[in-house]
Amino acid sequence: MASEPPARRRVVVTGVGAVSACGWGVPALWAGLRSGRTSISAFTRFDHTRHRTHVAGEAPAGPPADFARGRGWPRLSLADRFALFSAREALAQAGLEPPLGERAAGVFFGSSTGGMLESEWYVADLMRPGTRERRGLMASQQINAPGDAVARALGVTGPVQTLSSACASGALALAAALAAVRAGDVEIALAGGADSLCQVTYAGFNALRAVDEVPCRPFRSGRAGMSVGEGAGVLVLEALEHARARGATPLAEVCGAGSSCDASHMTAPLPDGTGAALAIRRALDDAGLPPAAIGFVNAHGTGTPLNDASEFAGLEGALGARAREIPLTATKATVGHLLGSSGALEAVATVLCLREREVHPTPGDGEVDPGIAVRLVTGAPLPAPDARAALSTSLAFGGSNVALVLGRWD
Amino acid sequence: MAVAVSGLGAVGSFGCGASALAEALRASRLRASEVDRTAGYHLPESARTAALVDAADVSPWVPAALGRRMSPPSKLAVAAARMALDEAGSAPGLTEVVLATAFGPSSFTERLLRGILAEGPEAASPFLFTECVANAPAAQVAIVCQARGPNVTVTQREAGPLLAMGRAAADVASGSVERALAGAVDEAAPIVHAVLDRFGALSRPGAEGGEAARPFDRRRSGFVMGEGAAVAVLEDEAAARARGARVLARVRAWGSAFDPSASRVSWGRGHEPLAAALGRMLERAGLRTRDLDLVVSGASGSRAGDRLEAHTLRAAWQGEPLPPVVAPKAVTAEYGGGLLAAAVLAAAGAQFGPTPGFESFDPDLRVIPHAGGPLRAPRRVLVTSLAAGGAAAWLVLERP
Repeated sequence: MASEPPARRRVVVTGVGAVSACGWGVPALWAGLRSGRTSISAFTRFDHTRHRTHVAGEAPAGPPADFARGRGWPRLSLADRFALFSAREALAQAGLEPPLGERAAGVFFGSSTGGMLESEWYVADLMRPGTRERRGLMASQQINAPGDAVARALGVTGPVQTLSSACASGALALAAALAAVRAGDVEIALAGGADSLCQVTYAGFNALRAVDEVPCRPFRSGRAGMSVGEGAGVLVLEALEHARARGATPLAEVCGAGSSCDASHMTAPLPDGTGAALAIRRALDDAGLPPAAIGFVNAHGTGTPLNDASEFAGLEGALGARAREIPLTATKATVGHLLGSSGALEAVATVLCLREREVHPTPGDGEVDPGIAVRLVTGAPLPAPDARAALSTSLAFGGSNVALVLGRWD
Repeated sequence: MAVAVSGLGAVGSFGCGASALAEALRASRLRASEVDRTAGYHLPESARTAALVDAADVSPWVPAALGRRMSPPSKLAVAAARMALDEAGSAPGLTEVVLATAFGPSSFTERLLRGILAEGPEAASPFLFTECVANAPAAQVAIVCQARGPNVTVTQREAGPLLAMGRAAADVASGSVERALAGAVDEAAPIVHAVLDRFGALSRPGAEGGEAARPFDRRRSGFVMGEGAAVAVLEDEAAARARGARVLARVRAWGSAFDPSASRVSWGRGHEPLAAALGRMLERAGLRTRDLDLVVSGASGSRAGDRLEAHTLRAAWQGEPLPPVVAPKAVTAEYGGGLLAAAVLAAAGAQFGPTPGFESFDPDLRVIPHAGGPLRAPRRVLVTSLAAGGAAAWLVLERP
């Protein structure tokens, strides 16, 4: 007689951490998201006089004075610092103390550019003969540097991997962490992502004419592109029984993940959203939930004309008519597009919304695009007392699509 | 479900195709060429060579019209994927792509950045930007091969290729995808070559014995940078056999760990915890070290990396003699997936010549890599790769 497959381990979130244009820390993020005002504005990270646009979601100076920076902090890149601050914040909320070497812990991170900002300074020096080499600028150049910095600082000895699939990286990292905890590879996973503003991405997206001259306006009429942001989001994922055994309080459940590829074009999404729809269906299947169970959507919502329309087509393809009823929000309208860490930060935002039983608004000028039948949350937070699960989507350059299903924990 | 490798594509300085790599491994031949140092990034005393791909080699798999909008690593990855799929034969179903890259399309990134810095951001090319993202090769593979499953790019330096293979094997084994294209790709862009050299990672002409990859050798002075791509087709072994496909190897186990004693740019000294992690991986697969009869080592000639590798292996074997150890990076050089492709070939019974560059025993390492002569066809192969920065990954491949 065939034996029953073993029950799948449930995976919960026990801590969250974030850095964004709203500030250093989750309280600043949540206050910014609830405010209904964008944090995208003029910025100083580099001289952008000659760039086509002049706004970004820049993180303010930090970290706060009471943050224990540690011995190696001055040598870290900005993205490393975002990552490490967020990881320590998430760990503290989870009630975990480093080092984590004895705890079967792993790090699953996403990033698009790692230490590119500092690499730009290094290469500029190399192009000026006679300039003293500042080798330390390149030591965190690799895309895996922020994830490694977290693992090194926290004494992690389990699996450590960084995924870099452009704007889907952070969500893919969460999906990988979910798989690792379910499989028993780890009991605790630090899942997240980090990226900093840099000239390569800012100039590159501008060259594609994909950046709005004003703060991005996802799903609005007249939207004209994205706004680049920076920061990090980190979630502590844990096997439910492990969290219970040590008396931790779950904040939310990671119910499922799904991914797909458009396999169509390097930059343009499939207009009919079939790639995104496949990822969403796979996430719902993985979670064992019907479309009706989804209480709200945290959309990828970049603010480019094509992406928002394609994304909503994908939501309709996967959720049917329900897509038009479900409240939808876009975190990027507040903090900008954090590229490889956007999926992680938006997962943090989704956890906060589930926990606080309200959906944060989507700032932006202009009316909601009448060509998209979306129920966009605008103005003020929308009470969502009955939302027990939410969908968060990440749709990347190169056609990589990821959907996460997060559940409320009562 | 048993996970089979049913196709393998490889591109490197050795040429195109798994058979070209097999011949280079048998002949112990590393083909290195002069790196372009005209941009001014290199120091006068820097390393001179890298194992470079002859771009013309990939044209049968990536015709000019197809490759016109691709970065160099995208072309390499697409070529390797097409070779692998050709060998595996057609198979329907949801196909995942998992590729590792240490540095991504770095020549395009350098051109884009250099243009921005020298001429201003108005000069930024949308084409260069589109193809400079790390996942461009994986995305191009998906587009060309119409792979609509998950599309994942792993960036974990030298551990990436084995992590990619492990991820793909796990997804095939769980049934979440029906088939996966797993592998690695990198290009040896002059700027990356120069920076690795400045960090002391590369063997230089002034080193004892000259510029060469010398895995496990007392005189090793760094690795030789390589470029290329390796892609394997992974699928349910029963499905592959039902289709009449040749099964090259079975992916029996995979695992990874991290050594927090490593600095950002080098290897640490945490061999005991790494050996324990390797032991746990084997235990979960129901294996012990005595079940492994060949090690395909990621040793590259790095001073610190080979030391950690040797000490980890000896700690894992707990004083017992090691099985034969081959170090294919002496032939393929570092990066570009050569290790992964060589490991699959080893599991399929390929023969290895003597390890080039190994001449003097290192009493600290106490590992003597394969000295030539016939290798008994292994039942199981341990594949190892320890990365600068701290990551470590292992695979066990089985002879089908």
